[in-house]
Amino acid sequence: MAHPSQLGFQDAASPLMEELLHFHDHALMIVILISTMVLYIIVAMVTAQLTDKLVLDSQEIEVIWTVLPAIILILIALPSLRILYLMDEINDPHLTIKALGHQWYWSYEYTDYQDLGFDSYMIPTQDLTPGQFRLLEADHRMVIPVESPIRVLISAEDVLHSWAVPSLGVKVDAVPGRLNQATFIVSRPGVFYGQCSEICGANHSFMPVVVEAVPLDHFENWSSLMIEDA
Amino acid sequence: MSEDPPHSASDWLTILASSYSDGARKTDRMLATRALSLVGKRALSTSICLRGGHGVAKIDDYAMPAYFDRPDNPLPDIRFVQSLTVEQQSLKEKEMGSWATLSNEEKIALYRISFDQSFAEMNQGSAEWKSVVAGLLFLTGFTGFVVLWQRKYVYGPVPHTFAPEWKEKELQRMLDMRINPIEGFSAKWDYENKQWKK
Repeated sequence: MAHPSQLGFQDAASPLMEELLHFHDHALMIVILISTMVLYIIVAMVTAQLTDKLVLDSQEIEVIWTVLPAIILILIALPSLRILYLMDEINDPHLTIKALGHQWYWSYEYTDYQDLGFDSYMIPTQDLTPGQFRLLEADHRMVIPVESPIRVLISAEDVLHSWAVPSLGVKVDAVPGRLNQATFIVSRPGVFYGQCSEICGANHSFMPVVVEAVPLDHFENWSSLMIEDA
Repeated sequence: MSEDPPHSASDWLTILASSYSDGARKTDRMLATRALSLVGKRALSTSICLRGGHGVAKIDDYAMPAYFDRPDNPLPDIRFVQSLTVEQQSLKEKEMGSWATLSNEEKIALYRISFDQSFAEMNQGSAEWKSVVAGLLFLTGFTGFVVLWQRKYVYGPVPHTFAPEWKEKELQRMLDMRINPIEGFSAKWDYENKQWKK
């Protein structure tokens, strides 16, 4: 989750998010350099005392300021496309989970081995225990084993929703009648929060996504307990 | 003068008038220039609508040469003072002679006949920025006042999770959960000594 008044990205919890962070640094640096240069030119032009009345055209500078931006765009596009294709690489998920958006909660189904399904509702503000995070906590978390490739199939049962977990670098729309696939690996154990990212009605702000990454044996214990309780 | 290419309406009219007859009768030329003098001395190079040699159809005011003060265009088309007083006329005649005989005041007077503002006057700034900044600060202050009033009289209470005790427990829980442990939140906490890293 974000800490108070945080401006930048959350720390990456998956390799893909690390790539996105580095790419963002790269693109933002280019943007800052260009903006600084433009700001300087604007200030220089506005504060100039003299006027050159005879500037008509200049082929050389026209070539430069066409070719140079093209090069800069290529320098941005190449890493961007690299990450884009990285996201879609063939991987071999250890676990497939279905995340279904409803108005206004998520439900998760683990059907690889046995039938496990449960709903994940936000804990209302008045029911929080001291220290819990308002609007982020859910009664049942999506528990997954750490350092394992996970496939999440995302869909919706009524209207559009979006399943997002910023620290994992995942945001995928939940479209009714459609299955969207997201794959990720969680690099470190922990709890990772996200919120529904597509307007879906009155309680759109109140259906968080909570992913808990635990060692494999913990995951096995948890799933056994969940199946018993069902 | 006959070697200069014609570049003003008066020149063209002169040529036109003189072409009507061989040898350019003096009266024809004088008629042409007299027609132009009706327009006034301002008509040097301008777009007067002419009727093929016998008169002026119309003159639009914006098409006439105008006076301007511009730092990048130092020589306007016309003098600033068009109709000279008697004093100014005599000064202009004195200007025909040697300039060494002109006093400083006379030189300045001649300048002011031809030009409105000097370069220094043209380029000087104004005190307008002070009004702008004052207005900005006032409006910002007023906005702050509106915000404070809203907080007191319009908004309801914040959720109970904003209470300091709750926030302390939240922070402790975030540290226990190792939220953002790499560069963000928990990375700045010294777990050994239980304090923020220096």
